[in-house]
Amino acid sequence: MSALTAAVRRPSRTRGFREFLGRFGGRSDGIVGVAILAVFAILALAPALFVGPLENAVTASGSPLDPPSAAHLLGTDELGRDLLNMTVHGARISMTIGLLATLITVVVGVGIGIMSGFLGGRWDAFLMWLTDVFLVLPNLVLAIALAPILLSLVGDEAEIFGIKAKLIVIVIVIGLTSWATTARIIRSQVLSLKERAFVDRARVIGTGSGRIMRRHILPNIINLIVAQAVLTFAYAVFTETSLSFIGLGDPFSPSWGQILNAAQEAGAPGLLAWWYIAPPAVCVVLVVVAFTLVGNALDDVLNPKSGARR
Amino acid sequence: MNGRYLVNKLARAFLTIVAIMLLNFLLFRAMPGSSVRLTHSPYQTQEQIDQQAHKLGLDQPLLPDQLVTYIRQTLSGELGDSFKFKGQPVTQVIGDRLGPTLLLIGLGEVIAIVLGLALGAYSGWRRGSAVDRIGGGIGLILYSMPYFVIGMPLIVIFAAALGWFPTSGMLTAGVVYDSWTDQLFDFLRHLVLPLATVSLGLIGGYSILMRAAIAETRAEDYVTTARAKGLTDGRILRTHAFPNAMLPMVTIIAINLGYVVGGAITAEIVFNWPGIGTLTVDALSARDYPVLQGIFLMLAVAVVLANLVADLVYGLLDPRVRS
Repeated sequence: MSALTAAVRRPSRTRGFREFLGRFGGRSDGIVGVAILAVFAILALAPALFVGPLENAVTASGSPLDPPSAAHLLGTDELGRDLLNMTVHGARISMTIGLLATLITVVVGVGIGIMSGFLGGRWDAFLMWLTDVFLVLPNLVLAIALAPILLSLVGDEAEIFGIKAKLIVIVIVIGLTSWATTARIIRSQVLSLKERAFVDRARVIGTGSGRIMRRHILPNIINLIVAQAVLTFAYAVFTETSLSFIGLGDPFSPSWGQILNAAQEAGAPGLLAWWYIAPPAVCVVLVVVAFTLVGNALDDVLNPKSGARR
Repeated sequence: MNGRYLVNKLARAFLTIVAIMLLNFLLFRAMPGSSVRLTHSPYQTQEQIDQQAHKLGLDQPLLPDQLVTYIRQTLSGELGDSFKFKGQPVTQVIGDRLGPTLLLIGLGEVIAIVLGLALGAYSGWRRGSAVDRIGGGIGLILYSMPYFVIGMPLIVIFAAALGWFPTSGMLTAGVVYDSWTDQLFDFLRHLVLPLATVSLGLIGGYSILMRAAIAETRAEDYVTTARAKGLTDGRILRTHAFPNAMLPMVTIIAINLGYVVGGAITAEIVFNWPGIGTLTVDALSARDYPVLQGIFLMLAVAVVLANLVADLVYGLLDPRVRS
């Protein structure tokens, strides 16, 4: 029987996907966003292929604060490091932190949203109160208060999968402080799903709550989750940049925010060193705009009804 | 506004503040190197360490004794002493920096709300017009820029290259002013770029949200009715669409406040503006936890109260809630 349903289902899925591609292809803003992201994804996957290994104070290839020239297309920083080199490597660090933070945010937000909406009653009241608290709290300030605690828990020098502790802390902090919006949106969708007949049917044949949430509710909100995850990615890159700029980043893994932090510390704005600021700043804005464009386009295409929200 | 709505909102704000105080209590206990651990030195005898712990009340059980003491102290405005500024109470350290931040964020919010809502309303009403297309693009880009990404280029262009405005600070250091007008002028010159940064950073978000809110009202029956009555387009926008779109905006502006306050930290750093933002970062790098905790508590409670006010204003404005 399962083979039969699979055989019946498969063509409809491919058709659904083709239809989706067709509709998404009609959104020029979404296509522009995907194109921008593709470029940055390639840079992030193999930065050394384009600009060689990441330069440090010892291997710096230029003299301090050189404006752009043929040898250094984007100029150099106060240590003589090539800014093109740093910015391309920064893509990898910023995007990795953004991706991991997005995963945490979506998992926590979706989990709390589904439980809150499906279980209802006291659980709903408690979880939504928690969500309200996190929605209202000044995220950046909470992040600043949380970061030293987490860092002492993880240990300054620790590495997890080759990622430095400081960056892990940034990932967790972003995840912990930004799930509330996702939880709210997921919950409202689950509230309406739960009234549908197929959930009643599953319940009548004795399916447990956990299984209903996993097998019946979750697949029906995948579209919403995908769109929400893409928008969260924009927020995560934005927040990472801010946290690194404040000084919570790792100087040895220069993300774009970290480069801007170094530029600020070196007094680049007052020294007219625009080439120190422009590359990382333009990259951040491009990536955040691209994720927002793709996320909005996905949301409109995948969740036609939610279009009214925007 | 009916009583139940009022009680509901008050209870909600109260519960949130309780949660914030609990969080603050736990954070403060979990801080690395806080209290006893920070002042602990290898030359102290165990007896001295115990004495110190007793003085700070840390030999009491965490629950409920320490929590009760903490709540009592917090409610009486006792937030402890700063580590960095020796002996100064946290409330005083924070109080000294409050004025510049309130001024910067307050003015920035007002400018951004007026311009952002106007731009958003026009774009939403005339969807697809030149203003909508160009304004929408600029709005999205501004919305995607952290404050410091806006501020740094402003310094490069208007301070370093053109020399129109100073690069940092709130007043020129070491200057004796002839009159208060000179001082005011100097202050205003310093204010222009940070204020422009905060306003630009906020305009994007407000215009995007307002555009959506106005666009939604276009399909409403009362707009069709107004049109059928023969009202002019501008009049419908001003007297029918705009007030209705403003309703959700009141809530959104209040919810955004926490985000605005956090973001202003980075704007202050770029311009070395002597407010809460620079204080936060100084406290972070000096591991001045009492000050950090104090800032967190103050900002969080302020945002909750602002949300409460927004809810109450909403209740007064919206007849559906009022009745």
